[in-house]
Amino acid sequence: MAEVKVKVQPPDADPVEIENRIIELCHQFPHGITDQVIQNEMPHIEAQQRAVAINRLLSMGQLDLLRSNTGLLYRIKDSQNAGSVSFYLSKMKGSDNQEKLVYQIIEDAGNKGIWSRDIRYKSNLPLTEINKILKNLESKKLIKAVKSVAASKKKVYMLYNLQPDRSVTGGAWYSDQDFESEFVEVLNQQCFKFLQSKAETARESKQNPMIQRNSSFASSHEVWKYICELGISKVELSMEDIETILNTLIYDGKVEMTIIAAKEGTVGSVDGHMKLYRAVNPIIPPTGLVRAPCGLCPVFDDCHEGGEISPSNCIYMTEWLEF
Amino acid sequence: MTQAEIKLCSLLLQEHFGEIVEKIGVRLIRTGSQPLRVIAHDTGTSLDQVKKALCVLAQHNLVSYQVHKRGVVEYEAQCSRVLRMLRYPRYIYTTKTLYSDTGELIVEELLLNGKLTMSAVVKKVADRLTETMEDGKTMDYAEVSNTFVRLADTHFVQRCPSVPTTENSDPGPPPPAPTLVINEKDMYLVPKLSLIGKGKRRRSSDEDAAGEPKAKRPKYTTDNKEPIPDDGIYWQANLDRFHQHFRDQAIVSAVANRMDQTSSEIVRTMLRMSEITTSSSAPFTQPLSSNEIFRSLPVGYNISKQVLDQYLTLLADDPLEFVGKSGDSGGGMYVINLHKALASLATATLESVVQERFGSRCARIFRLVLEKKHIEQKQVEDFAMIPAKEAKDMLYKMLSENFMSLQEIPKTPDHAPSRTFYLYTVNILSAARMLLHRCYKSIANLIERRQFETKENKRLLEKSQRVEAIIASMQATGAEEAQLQEIEEMITAPERQQLETLKRNVNKLDASEIQVDETIFLLESYIECTMKRQ
Repeated sequence: MAEVKVKVQPPDADPVEIENRIIELCHQFPHGITDQVIQNEMPHIEAQQRAVAINRLLSMGQLDLLRSNTGLLYRIKDSQNAGSVSFYLSKMKGSDNQEKLVYQIIEDAGNKGIWSRDIRYKSNLPLTEINKILKNLESKKLIKAVKSVAASKKKVYMLYNLQPDRSVTGGAWYSDQDFESEFVEVLNQQCFKFLQSKAETARESKQNPMIQRNSSFASSHEVWKYICELGISKVELSMEDIETILNTLIYDGKVEMTIIAAKEGTVGSVDGHMKLYRAVNPIIPPTGLVRAPCGLCPVFDDCHEGGEISPSNCIYMTEWLEF
Repeated sequence: MTQAEIKLCSLLLQEHFGEIVEKIGVRLIRTGSQPLRVIAHDTGTSLDQVKKALCVLAQHNLVSYQVHKRGVVEYEAQCSRVLRMLRYPRYIYTTKTLYSDTGELIVEELLLNGKLTMSAVVKKVADRLTETMEDGKTMDYAEVSNTFVRLADTHFVQRCPSVPTTENSDPGPPPPAPTLVINEKDMYLVPKLSLIGKGKRRRSSDEDAAGEPKAKRPKYTTDNKEPIPDDGIYWQANLDRFHQHFRDQAIVSAVANRMDQTSSEIVRTMLRMSEITTSSSAPFTQPLSSNEIFRSLPVGYNISKQVLDQYLTLLADDPLEFVGKSGDSGGGMYVINLHKALASLATATLESVVQERFGSRCARIFRLVLEKKHIEQKQVEDFAMIPAKEAKDMLYKMLSENFMSLQEIPKTPDHAPSRTFYLYTVNILSAARMLLHRCYKSIANLIERRQFETKENKRLLEKSQRVEAIIASMQATGAEEAQLQEIEEMITAPERQQLETLKRNVNKLDASEIQVDETIFLLESYIECTMKRQ
């Protein structure tokens, strides 16, 4: 008579129990637990059962598998994600792991979005599969495509409910991928007028030169407040935006900038210094060469005596002489 | 010498000196230094004429000579000196503002004659001034001499190098060409002359200087036979000093534009104080203490010492960096940064040309690239806030006109274009040179157009000249009003109109030449001082 081998199952070897224990452990150590820790907790469970439990938790999406320099870590997924995951699980009951993987990658990209080629690199899936999956996900309204302002043909994907980052949409200067040049021009002129009038009042005050010069300066904070009060902008503008506009004025040669050290806490100071701007005049009037027609002539290189175009029959000169 | 420069030199020489001198001059400019016989042979002119032409050119400092070994004398033309002839009107006008009519005429005579002795200058100028004065008044030689001495003291005129007086009686044969030397100290030393006399009015045939007995006439001729006391001491206009003055003017006006009138006056005072002490090519003026500046301010400006100090601090802190502080003794030592000032002026000229030719957006991109030194195309769009397409277009246009250049930085050894960084950069020196070349060609064009306009209307001009001569002679012989009227009507109204238009056009073209010359001055000064620094 053969002995029936009875496998003695330890009392809490129920798979669900194991999983619950592991989840509890993860909650205890929110930074993640290693396999060693689980083993220590439940020494009577065989490695195989442990592995099965962990795999189930992973596939359900309740645990995150991370790699550290010591080995593998298991971490509980935080509740928010767990919530959305269950939401998505309910939608993706039938989806395969590939879609989950792609979704994971897009989620990781945050609000900067990720390009389809990058998804391909990260998931190692073929292009056709990727495209199918992306279309699927889009139809399920889980992700959306946002056109990048940098390269107009490129589309980046991000989660449906996220706001795209400024670097993708271009921030305040872009509305629907179009660069708003008139808006920039208007802001440009308004800032310049403000600085000009400030310089005028300073000049007319006729006090000693030091005070005159200091009062003709305006900090970037002042300009920002003025523009906000003017209310010509529909979009909320930050101080950095105003500083980029003021920089364009510097490149127009109409404004100069100095940086002074300011106490932390004075209004408008960033990291202990403030930028001051002042309207200036150009240092020379338009130079002599451009007052002659030859200075602006588009066919200058073709002009020589005796040719089709020559000083004797130059039409630009004739027009200019008739002024 | 570039083609444009040679063309311009040939036009100038032809206008001022005539065909033969032009031929010789251009030949010398083109081929460098050559001996006399080679010039005569190559240009096909007779030796006599070549000698005369070289004489004229040497008198005006346009040609220099050198004795080589084996006794061959070679002549070399100074192309840059020929181009200075464009600037004569500006020199004369400057002297007029500083030393009034007397000074103006002195410098004019010196420029037109190349080199003159002091007594000759004084005599000529006195005569000219006397003509313009009212009847009965004459110009005293002493006044003219005084102005001359003042000009020499401020270094606007200088002595020409002369033949050294050899003390030892060298028995050997005289060298084929004398070597001229001038002692630094003697350059502005005015010889002690007692020039007594008054300017003489040029007598026309019927103007009788009443009371002048005819017996005196022969005496004047004998006057000329007396030996001139300062024979051999010739004077010429010191162009470098004028250039220094122009440069100072440009700096002062730049400061006035950027700051206010008082600051520019302070800078003018500082420059005036260092006129004599600093050489024209120095990068900085001598340090001047704030006390000295306070003492040397012009009399009308009564600002207190404190205010002056404040102004000086403001000037030193200004981003323009024209004035720098070099020490604290004497209330603060300040220098003027001449090289930096010239560089700023040249950069401003470049920016102004870009703005007028391509538009203010292009000017924005140009200034952006100037400030960032090297910048990528993508960054240009971001910083300048200009839509990508337009920014690209403007960058390429400026690149094709050689205002900008590209710097390649490869990422891979095979320099593949897709894996290379392309950075835009502006090289101010080469852009300045390119613009200078364009200026030369522009002036040549303007001169040609002026000559063309004059040639077109030559017939009309000749007619008007004849009519004027007839009227003048008839007025002299006392003709009636009616006859004068008749002669005047020989020129019809539309012809008069044409003459008016011609005069206006020629004046406009002339003025434009002088304006372009101002640009040339700034660019040339900048290029010169940068080359010297390297």
